[in-house]
Amino acid sequence: MAIHNILFASLLICLLIQSSHGATKERLFSDLEKSALEVTATPSRVGEVLAAGIDKLSITWKVSSTATKEPEFKAIKVKLCYAPASQVDRPWRKTENELFKDKSCPHKISSWSYDPAVKTAQSFDYTLERDIPTGTYFVRTYAVDAKDHEVAFGQSTNENKTTNLFSVQAISGRHKSLDIASVCFSVFSVLALFVFFVNEKRKAKIEQSK
Amino acid sequence: MASNEEGSIGTSLHGVTAKEQVFSFSADASSQIVPSDDPTAKFALPVDSEHRAKVFNPLSFAKPHMRAFHLGWVSFFTCFISTFAAAPLVPIIRDNLDLTKTDIGNAGVASVSGAIFSRLAMGAVCDLLGARYGTAFSLMLTAPMVFTMSFVTGPVGYLAVRFMIGFCLATFVSCQYWTSVMFNGKIIGLVNGCAGGWGDMGGGVTQLLMPMVFHVIKLAGATPFMAWRIAFFVPGFLQVVMGILVLTFGQDLPDGNLSTLQKSGQVSKDKFSKVFWFAVKNYRTWILFVLYGFSMGIELTINNVISGYFFDRFNLKLQTAGIVASSFGMANFFARPFGGYASDVAARLFGMRGRLWILWIFQTVGALFCIWLGRANSLPIAILAMILFSIGTQAACGALFGVAPFVSRRSLGLISGLTGAGGNFGSGLTQLLFFSSSRFSTAEGLSLMGAMAVLCTLPVAFIHFPQWGSMFLRPSRDGERSKEEYYYSSEWTEDEKQQGLHEGSIKFAENSRSERSRKVALADFPTPESGTLTNV
Repeated sequence: MAIHNILFASLLICLLIQSSHGATKERLFSDLEKSALEVTATPSRVGEVLAAGIDKLSITWKVSSTATKEPEFKAIKVKLCYAPASQVDRPWRKTENELFKDKSCPHKISSWSYDPAVKTAQSFDYTLERDIPTGTYFVRTYAVDAKDHEVAFGQSTNENKTTNLFSVQAISGRHKSLDIASVCFSVFSVLALFVFFVNEKRKAKIEQSK
Repeated sequence: MASNEEGSIGTSLHGVTAKEQVFSFSADASSQIVPSDDPTAKFALPVDSEHRAKVFNPLSFAKPHMRAFHLGWVSFFTCFISTFAAAPLVPIIRDNLDLTKTDIGNAGVASVSGAIFSRLAMGAVCDLLGARYGTAFSLMLTAPMVFTMSFVTGPVGYLAVRFMIGFCLATFVSCQYWTSVMFNGKIIGLVNGCAGGWGDMGGGVTQLLMPMVFHVIKLAGATPFMAWRIAFFVPGFLQVVMGILVLTFGQDLPDGNLSTLQKSGQVSKDKFSKVFWFAVKNYRTWILFVLYGFSMGIELTINNVISGYFFDRFNLKLQTAGIVASSFGMANFFARPFGGYASDVAARLFGMRGRLWILWIFQTVGALFCIWLGRANSLPIAILAMILFSIGTQAACGALFGVAPFVSRRSLGLISGLTGAGGNFGSGLTQLLFFSSSRFSTAEGLSLMGAMAVLCTLPVAFIHFPQWGSMFLRPSRDGERSKEEYYYSSEWTEDEKQQGLHEGSIKFAENSRSERSRKVALADFPTPESGTLTNV
């Protein structure tokens, strides 16, 4: 029957999708070495809400002298993370211990390969991207090993994520040209309907008077 | 009124039969039709005495019948696209507008609530202005709402716009009305089932279409927060185009448009208050209201939540989540007609009891798979559960409209409208209870919704017809009450019966003897109360 074929086909597709899934699933955030990196993130305008697409963050990171897993570091990934205030009633931004499930740090800022010879603090400027949503944020850096697994991290805020947070206001996404096009199309739609209606009523009257 | 109803009710999946107006205002379709001087040779398809097509050829676009069918279902399809266009883009919209889960859930409720009222009003509009204008009004007056998405900046605006876009789901009614006046009673079940099922597919297609359009616009250089707004111009534009096509190429009735035809013959309009009263008084109407709320209702809810569910829970990309989610709505292409067909087969073997059992089985099985979907932790299992769930639920929708035409003859149109509104009501309720707060995760919400659907499908056991019985009870043994005529003429007062207004119901009753099980139909052969004995 057709239904059997469809079910079989869908099972095949499902198996294909699953086979292309990643393997390691149990790496936990709590296993990472804390404070292995010292991170500071200074907004270009302190104490004010930053505008996405315009304002900048000045980010510095340095490997802490107390870092024990330092020999494993191969690359440093810098990410923008949500503060707890921006996670309320938003389960798609939830913090999870399992690293592959954790959704609290979705925005990549940059990635650097790690040079063990350089011991000084690295700093760079980051202009907030135009797709950053409105919210409260902090910066976290992960150190990854050769297998691209996180081994240590550092963040610009304290453990409870209450200090040194900064707020961002997203772009509205609106544009005058869009607004004008929207009004034009809407007016056209209503007008066209009206014209058809009046026309037909007129034709009907002419028919009846014949 | 010409009777061409032999076997019509028992034939196939149903919205309404061709004899009745979908809505209650004018009970007599022939009042609006002038038998033209020309013979029926001018029609591309064979027609009956009222110029309704007797043959359904989906590959043809011949005017006026097949054209009306295609314009009708595509309009309905377009409206489904617009109503659920936001759903696959929610992961982007929620970041742009800073929405919480509560905001998203409330907007989802709003998107299906508007249609509760607009579907009820559409019947009157079709009666007064014809099906073309009913469809065109729905399409072209809600198109501005779709374009207004470009102005939205926060949760309140988002909710308001989705509420107003939702009004366009009234095209379900105008589409079924249009096919009912264009197609003969013997095939109207199949025609309405196809129109309904193919239109519902829009809810699946939009999950594919909108992420694709969004992606293309982003490639062209727009930021995500602007790209989704531009993407909304696509469904809006489609609505305007369909509206113009309907008005240009469509025709209200087989013989012409409503406004240019001269009305002749007697116009026997039924009284709305009576029709309303008999619909509301019949407890079966309300059981169907609840049942459809947990078949079509959960289907509408899933259209709103499933794409986001796959995106969030299984970490799929936006387009991939859309592809997976779309397979839910696409199953409508065959699942809904299949449900109606299964209902007809069951009726042939077991009568009305068979129809009720089929309805219960499909709806319960669908709901059980919904529970499984919420509990599935791996992607392949989730997809499998979702597909089985979609087939069960959509077949239940088709099977329900195999039962609905028999609940009442006098108030048939209003009952169809109330049932349709029940679907939207069920969707609003389930979204409000399970998907609008952080109390349940989406996965838990799905399982709970499935469990609630299993419970709320149990009332089908209480639908009892004295002449045909119910799922567990036998038909009445009483000589009078066991006749179909008794049931259908009890909707008319003695005065009305004296005036002979109930003749149509008597004819319907005679033809509905097909709902007896094979054993009973062969055994006894009661004579009708009045009127002559036509073919039974």
